[in-house]
Amino acid sequence: MPDENEEDRVKSSLLADDLASLENYIHDLFNFSPLPICFVSPIGVLLEVNPAFESISRMKSYELIGEPIEKLFNKEKIEDLAKETLEKGSVRGKEMEFFTQKEGNIITQVFTRVRKDEKGDVVGYFLGLFDLTKIKEVEKELKKSQVALMNILEDTEEARKKAEEERKRTEEIIASLNDGLMVFDKDNKLSLMNLQAEKLFGVEKEKVIGQAVSAFFHTSELRPLAYLLGRDIKRLFREELKVGDSFILEISTIPLIARGRSMGNVVVMHDVSREKTVERMKTEFVSVAAHQLRTPLSAIKWTLKMLLDGDLGKISSEQREFIEKTYESNERMIRLINDLLNVSRIEEGRYLYKKVPYDMIQLTQSLIDSYEDEAKKRNIILEFVKPKEVIPQVMIDVEKMGLALQNLIDNAIKYTPEKGKVTVGIDYDKKEVVVSVKDTGIGIPESQQERVFSKFYRGSNVLKRETEGSGLGLFITRNVVEAHEGKVWFESEPNKGTTFFFSIPAK
Amino acid sequence: MAKKILLIEDEKIMINLLEKKLSQEGYEVTVSVNGEEGLKKMKEDKPDIILLDIIMPKMGGFEVMEEMNKDEQLKKIPVIIISNSGQPVELGKAKELGASDWLIKTEFDPQEVIEKVVKQIGK
Repeated sequence: MPDENEEDRVKSSLLADDLASLENYIHDLFNFSPLPICFVSPIGVLLEVNPAFESISRMKSYELIGEPIEKLFNKEKIEDLAKETLEKGSVRGKEMEFFTQKEGNIITQVFTRVRKDEKGDVVGYFLGLFDLTKIKEVEKELKKSQVALMNILEDTEEARKKAEEERKRTEEIIASLNDGLMVFDKDNKLSLMNLQAEKLFGVEKEKVIGQAVSAFFHTSELRPLAYLLGRDIKRLFREELKVGDSFILEISTIPLIARGRSMGNVVVMHDVSREKTVERMKTEFVSVAAHQLRTPLSAIKWTLKMLLDGDLGKISSEQREFIEKTYESNERMIRLINDLLNVSRIEEGRYLYKKVPYDMIQLTQSLIDSYEDEAKKRNIILEFVKPKEVIPQVMIDVEKMGLALQNLIDNAIKYTPEKGKVTVGIDYDKKEVVVSVKDTGIGIPESQQERVFSKFYRGSNVLKRETEGSGLGLFITRNVVEAHEGKVWFESEPNKGTTFFFSIPAK
Repeated sequence: MAKKILLIEDEKIMINLLEKKLSQEGYEVTVSVNGEEGLKKMKEDKPDIILLDIIMPKMGGFEVMEEMNKDEQLKKIPVIIISNSGQPVELGKAKELGASDWLIKTEFDPQEVIEKVVKQIGK
């Protein structure tokens, strides 16, 4: 039937139009797709590529179509992929290297899908690419930053650990120190205290940490320390501090200075109780020994004196000569014992000072007078240069100060050769009275000048000349002068002479 | 009549020396070798002056003075301390107890003892 035929023809024409339109549509879509897509035959020949594929491979479609796909991928891998695709129908998101002509290899993610004809036979497969270069780069960057970050974190962690270890170690050292230790911050508040310090003062650190020194005045255990340190923590070096009945401490303060700024103070307390006990025992021993020695010496002195005075009958001149010499030796021995006794008393703290206002000129004059004979005997000029102005009286313990000055004059005369000169002078500068004793003697060797005031010191050049002398004179002098808040010093030139000075504050 | 001196001292040689020296000067000397005996003697003899040692067995010089101070009669007798020790504390205490004078043995000689005695009670 013509109508039917006509209808079929129209239908078929419409279908053809539809098909053409669909083909166009697919073609447009294929061309439009921003993702590179190609169609590959079952044996691996490129049959079609879209513009995105051309662009990624940097080749034109005519350079690509008809070429084997293994030119663009690793041969083995693409074979595996094709096999998998044909078996399973599709592969999703496999990562593969894609060879481009000019840019080298890039990382891509590959998607495939099998295409079959209407009979169901496989005609090839679609292969779509996803360029991972950028993502990979970002990923790489990210990894790098992550690694860097991890490194930083590790370093920080390590530094923290190290600091922690260091801190622990320091804390352990501080804790195990035999000396007590307190650290005060710049506001004079206690920031650290070790176990030993807690023990020495009998306080618990939890109760006092954070307190300022001024608050210590309210804690009976710490009050003596507070008095010694002062509110602003004075500079101290080995100041003695009695704590209760059991401890004698030596307190030193060390200012903490960082970049020129004060960061506070470290206070170190060294327990010297044992040393002090030993020292006291030694002093007591010396004291007792000196007393015991004095008794027979007195007896000898008095006997000899009575012999010399003729109280025990007449003696010949030869006898007199010997007895006089013996008497002199005995006197020397007595002086030595007296020195020892004075030293032990100084160290016991029993060398009490009773200060009264007194005229230094008068005291000096009386000593000069008593040495006149001795100087004459030794053929030495002994001169007293009095100050031109009137000088005020000073507060002194007359007996002790006399002893201090006597030791200087005695030394000067003893160590000055014949025809030499000893000059005693007094100066006043409104603040203090300075007494000087100048000799033209043998001087003090430079190498020994530091030790001059120490106990039992005797100059090496002195020992060659004279065997007499206890080595205690200057030690006593310094102690006496310092107990008067004065200072002792000297200037000396070997073989030319020495000048000793001491000052007493005028009040 | 000779003035009477009581010497209380435990050191034998000192006793000999002082006895000799003082009697040569015309004084009458009695000796006690410790404080206890000395106290007894001074009550019997009523000396014009006492020379008193400090460190002695049985009773020391300070105790002797304390005892003397309790007795109106003994209190009046002048005392010169003779001691080996010249420590200020001791000298202070002697003064407090009423000693008239003191001698430190190593610092004085026998002639000076006589001078001090003469100063107190005359020849």
